Amino acid sequence: MSNSKLDILLEQKAQIALGGGSKAIETQHSKGKLTARERLEYFFDEGSFVELDVFVSHRSNNFDMPEKHAPGDGVVTGYGTVDGRLVYAFAQDFTVLGGSLGEYHAEKIVKAQNMALKMGVPIVGLNDSGGARIQEGVASLSGFGKIFKNNTISSGVIPQIAVIMGPCAGGAVYSPAIMDYVFMVDKTSQMFITGPQVIKTVTGEDISAEELGGAMTHNSKSGVAHFIGADDKDTLDQVKEVLSYLPSNNLETVPLVPTADDSNRLIPEFNEIIPENPNKAYDMYKILEGLADDGKILDVSKHYAKNIITAYIRLGGVTVGVIANQPMYAAGCLDIDASDKAARFVRRCDAFNIPLLVVEDVPGFLPGVTQETGGIIRHGAKLLYAFCEATVPKVTLILRKAYGGAYIAMCNKELGADIVLAWPSAQIAVMGAEGAANIVFRKDIKASDDPIATRQEKIAEYEEKFNNPYRAAELGYVEDIIEPSTSRQRLISAFDMLESKRESLPEKKHGNIPL
Amino acid sequence: MAKTYNITVNGTTYAVEVEETGSTQGAPVSAAPAPASPSPAAPAPAAAAPAAEAAPAPVATSAPSADAYKIESPMPGTILDIKVTPGQAVAEGDVLLILEAMKMENEIVAPQAGTVDAIVAAKGSSVNAGDILISLK
Repeated sequence: MSNSKLDILLEQKAQIALGGGSKAIETQHSKGKLTARERLEYFFDEGSFVELDVFVSHRSNNFDMPEKHAPGDGVVTGYGTVDGRLVYAFAQDFTVLGGSLGEYHAEKIVKAQNMALKMGVPIVGLNDSGGARIQEGVASLSGFGKIFKNNTISSGVIPQIAVIMGPCAGGAVYSPAIMDYVFMVDKTSQMFITGPQVIKTVTGEDISAEELGGAMTHNSKSGVAHFIGADDKDTLDQVKEVLSYLPSNNLETVPLVPTADDSNRLIPEFNEIIPENPNKAYDMYKILEGLADDGKILDVSKHYAKNIITAYIRLGGVTVGVIANQPMYAAGCLDIDASDKAARFVRRCDAFNIPLLVVEDVPGFLPGVTQETGGIIRHGAKLLYAFCEATVPKVTLILRKAYGGAYIAMCNKELGADIVLAWPSAQIAVMGAEGAANIVFRKDIKASDDPIATRQEKIAEYEEKFNNPYRAAELGYVEDIIEPSTSRQRLISAFDMLESKRESLPEKKHGNIPL
Repeated sequence: MAKTYNITVNGTTYAVEVEETGSTQGAPVSAAPAPASPSPAAPAPAAAAPAAEAAPAPVATSAPSADAYKIESPMPGTILDIKVTPGQAVAEGDVLLILEAMKMENEIVAPQAGTVDAIVAAKGSSVNAGDILISLK
């Protein structure tokens, strides 16, 4: 090979690596953003990233497109390793035609998706794009459609993670929405179907892009995004951490992360953690920290529906998905948002063979007109459905309140909990003692000479009879009532036993979850 | 503390919950007697439905300034206690007020440090999810 041919290659590669050129790169940096290639380099293990479709460019003849040079057609795709495990990725390059999605830009993403699916490994999409490439018309819409379809086919087979690192508007939002996890970078990313200007002309509402579709809005209000990062690097670090908890595909088991934290570690403070007064709250995070290997929790959707916690922890080195009521926020009740959040999390875990742990202290479903007309029946049903359908090992630990329908919804025995354990402070009943006594002993209270005293007496009687875990345990709905300090030991032992659990559902096309 | 009474009117029994809101240190407000006409709850057999709540007349409150950080009620409930006064400096995590809901005393804490701008919700009043309770500057 003559030197000139090699020179041409090197020159071309250098040009492609520059994307939209040094000026555009400067602009990208001035916004606090890394370029597509810098992001991939940071994300993957050093030197492991291998690019695909390096020379692909657009083929559009419309308008001024023939003169436009588009290295990589505005997207960098390829594979590499993260903590030594194979992962596919694509990164939209905002410096090239605003990262707009044209026909071949889409084809590159579709190829990466197909290969990730064939290899059975996660795919991570770094989104930073102005949207559809208008000059390419319906061809770019076709591109979006193919990506959505691939997202859906891959759902539940390989983990799919979207990272929003710039604008993501219009149809583009639906690819992240179908994926398992959406990360957003604070202040530099936005997601919306229609932007502030369109909203202003159509409805007259005045709102900033950040308030409408910024990272915190989607993390706390809409629930569209599940994680927020301070900047590009912080966000990518979090993506890597999430990947460390997940298997590469639905046929693998979770990665084992050995720990020095003793499986038999006792937690004496658990014996005192539940307040005497049942009206007082305590912080559920303290319980989860106590249980988890090295006290480490990976909180999912931390800022959304804070009355329920969905998190990954490890128990004896194995990933466990935790669903826990948080008494510190909105009494830990179940409402529309909490049901949606928890149901989605349960199905994510079930799809990827991650055992489920429910830590329960639930006063009930939230009463109210807004909840009823908002469809709490439909949304709450998702949670019940998700638990019933999940075939992974399921363990429920009841700390305190377990009342009525919410007791069932938090994966009781009948919904398929393989093991149910309770603390002595557990109250497993149809409702709280006060309400129950008023109904059950209405006549006695009414007929009494001293109704107030009789009522108190009856409340105490009901409390003794039903507001404890013993009735439920006698009936076999609770396997054992345990000393709180032994919880970690007992849970690890239960999950260990359940490792070989095999349960299958009847053959069907798919269930009909009430969406 | 809420007390529950069964009141029989023309042979129909109503479960009525009366809450004593109490007054503090001679404040001339809100020692209002239990309202004369508590709306009847569902008849006793269905008393699983929440009993009617006695809503005392809310005391005068102030409106938040436009640029203040407004803290909304996470759920419907009753303001049991207000722990701060306007102008008071608070640190992140300080308890601002107690919202009783779902038979739980929920602490509403300051999401950020600042000074109390206005206390919008009155002690003893019922609030709905999304109502502004207090604002910080």
